[in-house]
Amino acid sequence: MELSEIQQYLPFLIPVIVIELALMIAALVDLLKREETRGPKWAWLLVIVLVNFIGPIVYFVIGRKDE
Amino acid sequence: MNFFSVLRKELTEQWRTKRFLIVAAVLAAFGLTSPLLAKFTPELLKSIPDMPAGLAEMIPAPTVADAVGQYVKNMSQFGILLAVLMSMGAVAQEKERGTAAMMLAHPVSRLDFLMAKFAALAVAFAVSLAVAALGCWYYTLLLFEPLAWGPFLALNGLMLLVFLVYIAVTLLCSTLARTQGAAAGLAFAGLVLVAGVGSLPRVGEYFPGRLFEWGMVLALGGGDPAWPAFWVSLGMIAAALAAAWLVFRRQEV
Amino acid sequence: MIQIENLHKHYGSIRALDGLDMTVEAGTIFGFLGPNGAGKTTTLRILSGLARGTAGRAAVAGLDASADRRALSRRIGCLPEEPAFYPWMTPREFLDYLARLHGLSSADRSRQTRELLDLVSLAEAGKRRIGGFSRGMRQRLGLAAALVHKPEVLLLDEPVSALDPIGRKEMLTLIEDLRGQCTVLMSSHILADVERVCSVVGIIARGRMVIQSPREELMERYARPVFEAEAADAASASRWADRLRVQPWAAAVKLENAVVRVTVNDIARARREILPSAVAQEVILRRFEEARPSLEDVFLQLVGKEAAQ
Repeated sequence: MELSEIQQYLPFLIPVIVIELALMIAALVDLLKREETRGPKWAWLLVIVLVNFIGPIVYFVIGRKDE
Repeated sequence: MNFFSVLRKELTEQWRTKRFLIVAAVLAAFGLTSPLLAKFTPELLKSIPDMPAGLAEMIPAPTVADAVGQYVKNMSQFGILLAVLMSMGAVAQEKERGTAAMMLAHPVSRLDFLMAKFAALAVAFAVSLAVAALGCWYYTLLLFEPLAWGPFLALNGLMLLVFLVYIAVTLLCSTLARTQGAAAGLAFAGLVLVAGVGSLPRVGEYFPGRLFEWGMVLALGGGDPAWPAFWVSLGMIAAALAAAWLVFRRQEV
Repeated sequence: MIQIENLHKHYGSIRALDGLDMTVEAGTIFGFLGPNGAGKTTTLRILSGLARGTAGRAAVAGLDASADRRALSRRIGCLPEEPAFYPWMTPREFLDYLARLHGLSSADRSRQTRELLDLVSLAEAGKRRIGGFSRGMRQRLGLAAALVHKPEVLLLDEPVSALDPIGRKEMLTLIEDLRGQCTVLMSSHILADVERVCSVVGIIARGRMVIQSPREELMERYARPVFEAEAADAASASRWADRLRVQPWAAAVKLENAVVRVTVNDIARARREILPSAVAQEVILRRFEEARPSLEDVFLQLVGKEAAQ
């Protein structure tokens, strides 16, 4: 398969990227509204933005502190 | 009957605390990426510049079986992990936070309390799995060939059943534990136990994990049913929930 | 309205309740007093059906606390010491949820929610998330939650102990306003609060009822005259207090920095001898008075007696 053929399939990735972005934005909004997190806030910011997909989920599962 | 009022609260909670979003996003992402990965892994391997010509020839062209196989594999690993992660705090958190005591002083029976948790998790995983299945089915159609939707639906039903087994067992662990930390520890012990015993050669025939194989073969047009594993799974759900209720009923919160 | 007979609760070898007897008449605001760890919370938890007694009987409104938990929950309202809420809910949603559990119709729910939020002055915070609430707001919301189904009996566990003076005053006023509407059982280890609102007082120590009686009667019977004096310095106050402790007419001597508080048995003799003893110890007094006895003095006297047995 040539590169151009692979490119032809790139649109398939768009929904995946949309899901990832939605998750990331939801995590960021949650992080910014939250007063306290488990561990420093800036670290979570990096995790959410830099670690694809897993970052926001790890934040949601263990980063949030019960108010 | 206050079951539905409590269920309503559970569903709202899942939505507001973004738990539903997590489940839906993770499962949907696996639904979409599974066929994609199946299609492109061989292509990517072939495109490695130093690949000897002979070896490249030996990599088989991907088929629809690879797409379904990838989907089932992802769900059997990450789906189950997610089911445990999302359920382990369910009861323990409310006990630790004190909301369980607060609610149980109102007309909420302990059975309603537990069943609403199970039902809400079941709804979240069912809806998310439906979204994932739709994505997987559509991408498989575009990249490979159409899957017969009936058997594919059956595959997803069987996978949901396995998730429910893990959710029920994890809820039992969460009920047994006093704190969230203890609940997490117990839940992973439960996961290792159920998955571990299920991977043993002869006993595995009767364990929920066997349903993945059955579903996969089914989706690809084969037979090989595993009814014993099916009934055992239903039994495990009922037993785990009943045990959780018996424990919770005697517990002082 | 509340009847407890010979109630025991053992946690392993620890006897949290050791044969507690108690009766709360309908319509009273009952002050349940005792030092920390005396068994107040355990009693309230058993009454609300969250815990079970090891032996004995506890009944509320004629219903056995361990048997009829569901029926019980419709007739009692509880406010735990630290009320817990779902942080993602708003107070309005929380009260609506509780009202729904109690089977109120949609119209009744919204009216009841509005009225209760007004009552506990949370109307403006009605749409904010509970997660960000202060201690006082949570306590007031907890009271509203306990009142959502207009219960006959209200169980309040240390309702004001964790509050600042303003919050405490607001809360006590709310409780006082419930007089006549329902029977209130309120635990506390702060006596001034109980003194203000409660008509009947029960004192518990080490899992047993020491005494239970209308407040006025209790004061008349047990409150003994108290002298309070403030010395110029703590050292001489302490010296003097040691001297006073051995006097036959002094029942109890309490020392707080330079303030000496003496409860006496024999008022006439005390009046004669207390000042000379200060002079003898060369204590310089800044202030000296014969104080009105408070519930605290009664409490110390009774709980102290129990401890001595």
